[in-house]
Amino acid sequence: MAEARRDFVLRLARGAGWGSALLGLLDGTVRALSKSEETDLAILDASLTLEHEAIAIYEAALQRNLFLAGLRAYAVEFVGDHKGHRDTQLGLVEERGARPAAPLDDYHLEEMRTGDAAIRRCLEVEIAAQRAYQALNSQIRTKDYLLTAAFILVDEVRHETVWKRVTGIRIY
Amino acid sequence: MALAPPALGADYASADEALAAIEGLEADVERFLQRLERTVASSRPLVASFRRDRDRHRGHRARVRRRLGLPSSETAAASEAPDAALPALREAQSALVYAHAEALPALGDAVSVSLLLGDMVDLARHLTVIDLWIESEAARG
Repeated sequence: MAEARRDFVLRLARGAGWGSALLGLLDGTVRALSKSEETDLAILDASLTLEHEAIAIYEAALQRNLFLAGLRAYAVEFVGDHKGHRDTQLGLVEERGARPAAPLDDYHLEEMRTGDAAIRRCLEVEIAAQRAYQALNSQIRTKDYLLTAAFILVDEVRHETVWKRVTGIRIY
Repeated sequence: MALAPPALGADYASADEALAAIEGLEADVERFLQRLERTVASSRPLVASFRRDRDRHRGHRARVRRRLGLPSSETAAASEAPDAALPALREAQSALVYAHAEALPALGDAVSVSLLLGDMVDLARHLTVIDLWIESEAARG
């Protein structure tokens, strides 16, 4: 189970275009990166790719009206959080004079046509985001970004926990 | 109900100060858990699960203290909270989560950051469990 989860998190990160060093941190084959401006920028970029993907999934599911009435409010709240995370990190990249990662053209969402499929995609991207922020945050050099990323991680845990509960997965 | 960063967060001057703040806030949460488990029988599995995590977190902090050459801390016995109100527990839990986030920049050591991040993830999950419990109580009227 944990193996399968790690696999899809890695698949998602690879699909988003993460570099090999960050993928190594995620799969445990790399223990630490040098603390530098370049590392912070690579982490910001990787985080942005996941935020873009999460926003695309939620927006598509909301446009297709796939969430039951009682769950729609969570989806609206969570996509708002992801947009906030994206904008904050876009600002941090731009402050550093770099060009931020753009969304992909296609997140292969054609088959997401039912409520169950939407919740499964949402849960997957939230698990990936939680794992990614947890793995990457300890490598951040700048104190303000470390604090920001920690607050973002708290949001990701909330999202993941809500979808786990909805799908009947134990949450405590 | 996402956690917006507090307007005026703590800016800990040292790792020792940050860890002491966490330990004080953890004791606050424990006061509410004691009250809950005594007055709401159905809360006992949840309280037991939270405490298992808390015990692991104490071990992590002891490891962080050793890594950073800080003196070990005494865990003071917590006195039971006067009521078992879930919003008060939520407030205490939220303060504990924030304290972990705000402690990270004061640690200056990647392994210690990683340990406290893992603890923060557990505690943020507990906070969401409390939120969901509050929501289900409200829905029941």
